[in-house]
Amino acid sequence: MECRDIQEKLSAYMEGIISSEEKVLIDEHLKTCQKCNGSLADLKKTLEYVQNLEEMEPPPWLAGKVMARVRSEVAPKRGVFQRLFYPLHIKLPIEALATILVAVVTIYVFKTIQPEVKLAKAPPAEVTPRILLQEKEKTHALDEAKPLPAKPAEQFTLAEEKEIPVGKHVKAPKAPAKVAKRDKVLPSAGVVKKGELKREALPCELRTRALVERKDEAISLTINVKDIETAGKEIEEAFIRSGGKIIKKEYFVQRNIIVAELDSKKVKELLEKLKRVGEVKEKALALEPREGSIEIKIEIVRKQ
Amino acid sequence: MREKKQKTTDEDYEFVSLCKKGDVDAFGVLVKKHQKSMFNIAYRMIGNYEEACDIVQDAFVSAYRSIKSFKGTAKFSTWLYTIVMNLSKNRLKQLKTQRHREKFSINNPIPTNDGQTRGELASSEPSALENLEKRDVQQKVQECINSLDEEFREVLILRDIQGLSYGEISDLLEVPEGTVKSRLFRAREAIKDCLKEVIGDL
Repeated sequence: MECRDIQEKLSAYMEGIISSEEKVLIDEHLKTCQKCNGSLADLKKTLEYVQNLEEMEPPPWLAGKVMARVRSEVAPKRGVFQRLFYPLHIKLPIEALATILVAVVTIYVFKTIQPEVKLAKAPPAEVTPRILLQEKEKTHALDEAKPLPAKPAEQFTLAEEKEIPVGKHVKAPKAPAKVAKRDKVLPSAGVVKKGELKREALPCELRTRALVERKDEAISLTINVKDIETAGKEIEEAFIRSGGKIIKKEYFVQRNIIVAELDSKKVKELLEKLKRVGEVKEKALALEPREGSIEIKIEIVRKQ
Repeated sequence: MREKKQKTTDEDYEFVSLCKKGDVDAFGVLVKKHQKSMFNIAYRMIGNYEEACDIVQDAFVSAYRSIKSFKGTAKFSTWLYTIVMNLSKNRLKQLKTQRHREKFSINNPIPTNDGQTRGELASSEPSALENLEKRDVQQKVQECINSLDEEFREVLILRDIQGLSYGEISDLLEVPEGTVKSRLFRAREAIKDCLKEVIGDL
């Protein structure tokens, strides 16, 4: 065998893990080959060096630390669970305390906002009696299930004898104020006309009603003029100039009614214009500037 | 019928069964029994004492976590060593990239068991020349081992330092025995050449 081949096998030869045939061949070769003998010797010494490496001792704390980590891995499963759910003898008093606290805070908050709550409650309460009165007057069968048509611009008056769908109000007294404002246009149709009646009927709700009325028809006024036709035109013009919108016009023998929508900030301006047209008598007037637009109902009456 | 290559009855079998049932103390026994070998494998692979400590801890914890999936087809110790070997190799890769960036050498003076801890040879107390030489040689050998490629390093350590059988090494590294033998040959040659350079005449 060539030296090269021998070299490759020396490692295994050294360990005695080669076949007996190969061993014989190598033995033969080694008898004469100095180089290979040298290689073998080097190999043996190398192995010696490596095997003589001292066996290291791990630090004494190593086992302990390992076990600590292992145990901490086992424990927390209960710990986490236990952390979330305190034992009963701690939990119950805490819960009781929390309940009391919540109750106290609720009562306190409720008391603080009490007046506003009354106010908020009033309109829905208002609607019901109003509706009842209207029912009596008109003897209309009110269909509870009728949904409210989304026509905020329209206003039905009793004079027209239209059925007022109020089912929605009856059903949803908690309707948010914004929606309620529009919705209540309808049932409140009768408000102005029977304002007196209503006021007598429910004296205790005076303040809230006023508020409600203001919401429904912020302004209602009468203007005495010589010529109702001309006046009507002038008033219309005044509205349009102020950026308002005419909603409705009604014509009667002795009077006209104009219902319009106007930005509440322009109301004052409009009033001035109206005063130039004729004698203005206010029935209901919201003087405070409010956000958004306001409905104005103007009754034009011929001067007698 | 279980098809298994159980060469020897595993002496750790009993404790392993207990561990599987959740007996932490049984695991403690196994830790104490194997920590030295584990440590030496890690140490010789990495060449750094502190790193070896970390690796061994991680290896044991990892073993505990997955002990339920240990099937027992191989020896427990073999399985354990596989874990520590893999962690060592991973760490080596990390260190290599680090070293590449930082140009940091992990040539540490090797602490020996005669009580002398790490420190420059120049400093510290005067020690017997023999000890000094011994330490010096040990250090050089370790440095030579460090210079080997992973696959050669591992077979050398497992065979010539730890004394595992070819069968066990084959199981551990998941390579055929023939591959183990040829790698070992090349590992020894490489060490030989390195030592000749570093020490001189062997």
